[in-house]
Amino acid sequence: MFAKILIANRGEIAVRVIRACKEMGILTVAVFSEADRDALHVSLADESVCIGPAAATGSYLNMAAILSAAAVTGAPAIHPGYGLLSENPRFADLCSRCKIKFIGPSADVIRLMGDKDEARRTMREAGVPVVPGSDVVASVGQLREEAGRIGFPLLIKARAGGGGRGIRRVNSEDELERAYLAATAEAGSAFGDGAVYMEKLLEKVKHIEVQLLCDMDGSVVTLGERECSMQRRNQKLIEESPSPAVTPAVREGLLEAAAKAARAVGYEGVGTVEFLLDRDGKFYFMEMNTRLQVEHPVTEMVTGIDLVKWQIRVAAGTPIPFQQSDIKLRGHAIECRINAENPQENFRPCAGKVSLLHVPGGPWVRFDTALYQDYVIPPFYDSMIAKLIVHAPTRAEAIRKMQAALCEMVIEGVDHTGWMQAELIAERAFEDGTYTTDYLSGR
Amino acid sequence: MLTRNLFRRPRNKLEDAGANSMARPEIPGQLYASCPNCKAMNPAEELSRHADVCPKCQHHFRVSARRRIALTADENTFQELWPTLRGVNPIAFPDYDKKLVSAREQSNEVEAVVVGECQIGGIPACLFAMEPSFMMGSMGTAVGEKIARLFEYALEKSLPVVGFCVSGGARMQEGILSLMQMAKTTGAVKRHSDAGNLYVAVLTDPTTGGVTASFAMEGDITISEPGALIGFAGPRVIEQTIRQKLAEGFQRAEFVLEKGFVDMICDRRDLTDRIAGLLKLHRREAQE
Repeated sequence: MFAKILIANRGEIAVRVIRACKEMGILTVAVFSEADRDALHVSLADESVCIGPAAATGSYLNMAAILSAAAVTGAPAIHPGYGLLSENPRFADLCSRCKIKFIGPSADVIRLMGDKDEARRTMREAGVPVVPGSDVVASVGQLREEAGRIGFPLLIKARAGGGGRGIRRVNSEDELERAYLAATAEAGSAFGDGAVYMEKLLEKVKHIEVQLLCDMDGSVVTLGERECSMQRRNQKLIEESPSPAVTPAVREGLLEAAAKAARAVGYEGVGTVEFLLDRDGKFYFMEMNTRLQVEHPVTEMVTGIDLVKWQIRVAAGTPIPFQQSDIKLRGHAIECRINAENPQENFRPCAGKVSLLHVPGGPWVRFDTALYQDYVIPPFYDSMIAKLIVHAPTRAEAIRKMQAALCEMVIEGVDHTGWMQAELIAERAFEDGTYTTDYLSGR
Repeated sequence: MLTRNLFRRPRNKLEDAGANSMARPEIPGQLYASCPNCKAMNPAEELSRHADVCPKCQHHFRVSARRRIALTADENTFQELWPTLRGVNPIAFPDYDKKLVSAREQSNEVEAVVVGECQIGGIPACLFAMEPSFMMGSMGTAVGEKIARLFEYALEKSLPVVGFCVSGGARMQEGILSLMQMAKTTGAVKRHSDAGNLYVAVLTDPTTGGVTASFAMEGDITISEPGALIGFAGPRVIEQTIRQKLAEGFQRAEFVLEKGFVDMICDRRDLTDRIAGLLKLHRREAQE
């Protein structure tokens, strides 16, 4: 086991990883920007190193500074958390050149799955169903031909895509060329790679993802699915496990497909395979996330498995001692991502001092956050400030518990999405579980 | 505001403490290079892809003679000439022997210039590249001898010469003998030129002193890298002598171009193509 781990992240996920390390007897090194001097993860860690100015490009994305911090503190492993450098193959490469274990899959796997076009092809070859579509489109002639084959409406997507950028919806042939040129230009400027491909647009679908845990010996264990269809502009707001729309037969298919995907690329560590599920129970591979996910706690609640601890253990070479048949999904878990945004003002991000904080409590209520009383939320980073997670034997009871917990949560001084989420989970579409990814668009 | 040491350390022993619990990072050398101009940290591979030009501020890093040759000559075409020719301490200058030993260790070269024959863009040419890490590319008897010989060799074979200059000037530890190299190299360049051969001089940061006063300024075509310091005496010496503030950018390539001492400034990433183009344009009929 690593004696020390550097956490190359901030906010609640840095705190989450530090907590796992403390349980495991691992010393922790926090890195922080000048704006995060007073952040909780800095105090909680055994050592801390300032790595640059407030802007993430100079600090949390500054590979040289982070590697230097690891060298100076003698940390033989780096946990990248999610976002930031977690899916950066160059960083993973640099770590291995410095004899530092990057806690995640190899640079090659990250690179393969980061190329959405290549990932689709790999999955198709491995027998994982993918959304009907094309490979990278090289010319307008090919564009028309392939679009005719796929049928409208369709999506033009960037090969290097992420965060909803470089995506264009095309309803008919007239819009095709313009959307193609726009997507290519946007992808070129956002990712430095203008290559795009097409995918059939599936409407009224659910976003379902499967959690994986794989060790160095090739053992692959799936840990049930998560439903993440409650999204606003491709950003997830509420997640739950299991999904109310997944029948035992569909689940079996999903888990099997996800395991196949992991084996196809020789996956190592924790990862997530995202699928789209249509009304007929058919599902299609969308992408693979080669990191820990924000919504990992719902899986932890229903499986009883600490994903962060297992992620660290398998990275250190510990084989997984349990098998697929040992995994039992118990009860139902729901998570709300609490964002410092004002839902009344088109989700305008909000920063400032938390003048009063009350954390909801009670049995099976979990609150993952880096907030504390009088903390000043800096304006430079992601607006997610907390995750509220509840667990109960049934979905109905979990919704009730979430309702109660959201109403008990007090974060004064900044606007947040908590009350809006309390209203959302009371809506019929959430209660009967029929909501799809487009539920919040048009509001 | 959280105070330090607010939280106590749990008394948990390291779980499953195996052999890898002793592991420590081992940072290899040359992973990053910090830009002396903008201070940006550049990954070594990225810098190398950009021909040692900072991708952020376009600052041209100083490069060794071998790297210069690798950037310029076609792959595997460079044949070094007189690789063992080296300077001695002709006037028994104090500590010069020691200086030579440490310069050789530091630069991995025996002298401050590497000369040879190669192809550039498929065209045969003679090439010399000065070594900045060998006593700042200063010109002693050996450097002058190698350069003079190269021009004589090129004359004999009717080859063009491409030369990369980087130098602090004549090597003071060799006294008047080093100053005599200015005349010697100039004579060789002149004979090479009189026979109708092309000489392209590339001035890189810094090109000063006796080198500027001889072969560096004698090219048929003089190219400079952006921002290179080009002059005879350094700006500080001039400022102290004339007791006047010097103009902004004084002695920099752009300033020197404006005054007509250089023909063009070329980014290092385009330099080889530019030189190859010039060689092609000036190819002698006999070689066709």
